[in-house]
Amino acid sequence: MDRGAIEKRLSDQKDLLTNLISKAKSNGIEQVEIYSSYGYSEDVSLEKNDLNNCTATEENMFGIRVIHEGNQGFLISNHIPSLYTSIEEAYQLAKSQSTPDPDLVLPETRPITNQFDTYDSSLDTMGIEDLVSYAKEALGWRNDLYDKINIDSGDFSLSKGYKLIVSSKGVMAHELGAELSASVMGMGVDGDLVGSFDYDSASGFTKDQFQSLWKKAFHNFGDKCMGALYAKPTTGFQGKVLLPPDAVYSFFLGLFIGSLNGTSLRKGKSKMAGKIGEKVASSLLSIWDDPTNKGFMGSTGFDREGMPTSFKKVLTEGVLESYFYNTYEAKKAKLPISNGCATGGAQSLPGCGPKQLQIAPGNANKDEFFKLPGKTLFVNRISGTKDGASGDFSGVVKGGYLLEGGEKIPVREVQIVGNAFDALNQIEAISKEGELIGESSFVPYMLLDGFTITGVMEN
Amino acid sequence: MRDLLKECLSEESGFVELRYHHKESRSFFAERGRVESTALRKRTGVGVRVLESGTWGFASTSEITKASIQNAMQIAKKAARLSSALRKDKIPNLPKANFAVGDFIGKGIEDFRSRSVEEKLKMVLDIQNEATRHSNKLQSVGCGYSEIYEEKAIVTTDGANSFFSLVRPEFRVSAVAKDDGKLESGSHSIGVTGGWDCLFRSQSPSQISEEACKTAVDLLSSELPLGGLSTVILSPSIVGLLVHEAIGHTVEADFVLSGSVAQGKIGHRVGSDLVTLCDSGASEFYEGAGGTIPVDDEGVIPTNTVIIKNGILSSYLHNRETAERFGVAPTGSARAWEYGDVPLIRMRNTFLLPGDSSLEEMIANTKDGYYLDGAKNGQADATGEFMFAVQKAYRIQNGKITNLLKGVTVSGLAFDVLQNVDMVSKEFKWDLGSGHCGKGQPAKVDAGGPYVRTKVLLGGK
Repeated sequence: MDRGAIEKRLSDQKDLLTNLISKAKSNGIEQVEIYSSYGYSEDVSLEKNDLNNCTATEENMFGIRVIHEGNQGFLISNHIPSLYTSIEEAYQLAKSQSTPDPDLVLPETRPITNQFDTYDSSLDTMGIEDLVSYAKEALGWRNDLYDKINIDSGDFSLSKGYKLIVSSKGVMAHELGAELSASVMGMGVDGDLVGSFDYDSASGFTKDQFQSLWKKAFHNFGDKCMGALYAKPTTGFQGKVLLPPDAVYSFFLGLFIGSLNGTSLRKGKSKMAGKIGEKVASSLLSIWDDPTNKGFMGSTGFDREGMPTSFKKVLTEGVLESYFYNTYEAKKAKLPISNGCATGGAQSLPGCGPKQLQIAPGNANKDEFFKLPGKTLFVNRISGTKDGASGDFSGVVKGGYLLEGGEKIPVREVQIVGNAFDALNQIEAISKEGELIGESSFVPYMLLDGFTITGVMEN
Repeated sequence: MRDLLKECLSEESGFVELRYHHKESRSFFAERGRVESTALRKRTGVGVRVLESGTWGFASTSEITKASIQNAMQIAKKAARLSSALRKDKIPNLPKANFAVGDFIGKGIEDFRSRSVEEKLKMVLDIQNEATRHSNKLQSVGCGYSEIYEEKAIVTTDGANSFFSLVRPEFRVSAVAKDDGKLESGSHSIGVTGGWDCLFRSQSPSQISEEACKTAVDLLSSELPLGGLSTVILSPSIVGLLVHEAIGHTVEADFVLSGSVAQGKIGHRVGSDLVTLCDSGASEFYEGAGGTIPVDDEGVIPTNTVIIKNGILSSYLHNRETAERFGVAPTGSARAWEYGDVPLIRMRNTFLLPGDSSLEEMIANTKDGYYLDGAKNGQADATGEFMFAVQKAYRIQNGKITNLLKGVTVSGLAFDVLQNVDMVSKEFKWDLGSGHCGKGQPAKVDAGGPYVRTKVLLGGK
């Protein structure tokens, strides 16, 4: 499957979906939206420090949304010959409901100014043989540099495809994409000693970009696994935690960003309701959403509803500046149109959320965080739970270190408990340095104070 | 469908496995006085797996024709050949297994087909409307009903030849309560393999809703427990999480080969005498366990696998490849979520056998501890260190349950926790049938058991 074949398929499908929507309208189904997601991928997987499986998969999923007099039916299918029947079934689902909401409508079309095409045709010269060679290289790194690490699983993938949205309101948008990606998961094992799991991943639009990022990611993975191998239990304490970019993004920040979702706000589940213009976090923290940056993976010109995306400030020096809305939630919030923040794909109804979060770097030197007086817990990863409404989170620290007197002592069986909304005001410093998470979001290191850390050893 | 798959394999000499999978998921959700979403998801296709040159190759197609399936077979073979040179540890062959042959039609399918969309919509809407009247502190109550109907046909060149179908319904209520700027959540859900009556056998939709709402409201006045190593009595849902997360994942044979803490421990003591742990493809004790499968995704009849017998580790969970490596019979634990997924070793219904005590005796015999109830999420690690989250923690002091505390994360080392089990109740319950287990792919599983007393690390203030 190459670019030419994918473009031909896309062109044919635009015609097909346009005709289906016309047919639906002529049969009295006024509001229909079809979101098509086509993907072809070749994958090589690793298991137990060895190659495991080679796969080739191709699938086209369609998410069909029909709105009838304020009620909505949604159907997902991968069967092209029965797509019109699926439209009728979605229509029946909408008609079977008795709780209409006049604000539930498909959006009118709006011009998309940022055109994205992240399909580098040089990837068409690649295939499973290349993925096997990447796998061989990674196993070589493991054997030469990290022989105490067991690769539990890994994956190398070459994927290409498109997304396409067509609606009866005139929305018509598409983007092509292709990428190389890889991930690895495993742990250190030395005799009877087993370290905690860790993982890393990388992806790129081009071969060179991928190779450079993947090498860095694999070595980062190796270092994290080795660091966790000789971990020991420690005592609990009240104090500082140091979060690297991964932990900031995946755990701590996720709860706050979730509270800015238009649906959570409308349903009274968000502590950030009514706080636009208010200071809700430390002045050190500034966040924005930028899906228009063409250098980042995952940037896009349109959202799940085919509405244009845009740069927007989320938090400026601790002051809240915006929420995330799809069309329905924007209407419920008395706004004329959405702010292009509909999330999801063919297999889900439009949600609300950011596309490419960026966190402003601070002015601290991250190396200084490792030399602080007293005790600081370095939280590589949290395996735990979080509650979106209250903001409470708790979990076991994985691959963590106790930083004390310039020493870096690997620890295990340590739990951390906190509240994400309180933690926004517990930020003591943000580093200048950071990482591009998922090749798309810049995230720095953060030092926070005032946490309860529970260990298994007696104080 | 079996005939078409057999026809595709008629000229094959090596190992080829064809798995047809049609899945339909329906979901209905109501919140704030209206139906928020109705969705129907249909996905159909055939997954093709071959073993060639000692290596696996896999391809899939959503087109159910002989030509398309045979094309996928060629792609899978090519993929296997291309990668064979890199694989060190070649798979010489696969062991014979207790293959499923014939049709296996699940219970409750007609029951669900005969119930209309309107009936299911009315249920979620009525329950949601009724729930918000429980307390003026309730900000939002969401009520969802979903069902997964699936049918599979699995045919291999070495003897598997089966078709099966089943339905797995779920019902869930989540509530958010607010007071004085504080927000708390409560949720309760159930899920089974079987019919409507099976789903609501032990609790009606209203009772499920009441429980979720009460949790959210009660938690508004709760505080964190004291953190540290604590004596705890675990409810069956928490026992389910414990045996699934803490033990079950570490004994999946692929994970064992990667170096999990269970490696090399067959025959070793890993728990107290009171601990006998099983994983079964059937629904033991009573019908409806959410992870029930009549056939696994390699076409093997699942066994009731005794993982730990009276504290001694006795078996891992195997697919055909790992069974060959360990020289044992496959346990029927290979499972794939979609037709385009490669089967992985997964748990089915994991449970601890009941003991002789009663819950009342266990509470009365606990001077200082916690009763933990309401499973949330959980994860396990290669080290055997696990975490799981609970909704509610009740303080036990001098043999009596006292105040409700906010449930937090519980963690420990799997085998240490089992070694510390000192009381096991007579009661038994499946209580983890809703939601999914994640291991690269989702899977429907269930878990449960009796009430159990042990020691864990409780996160807290």
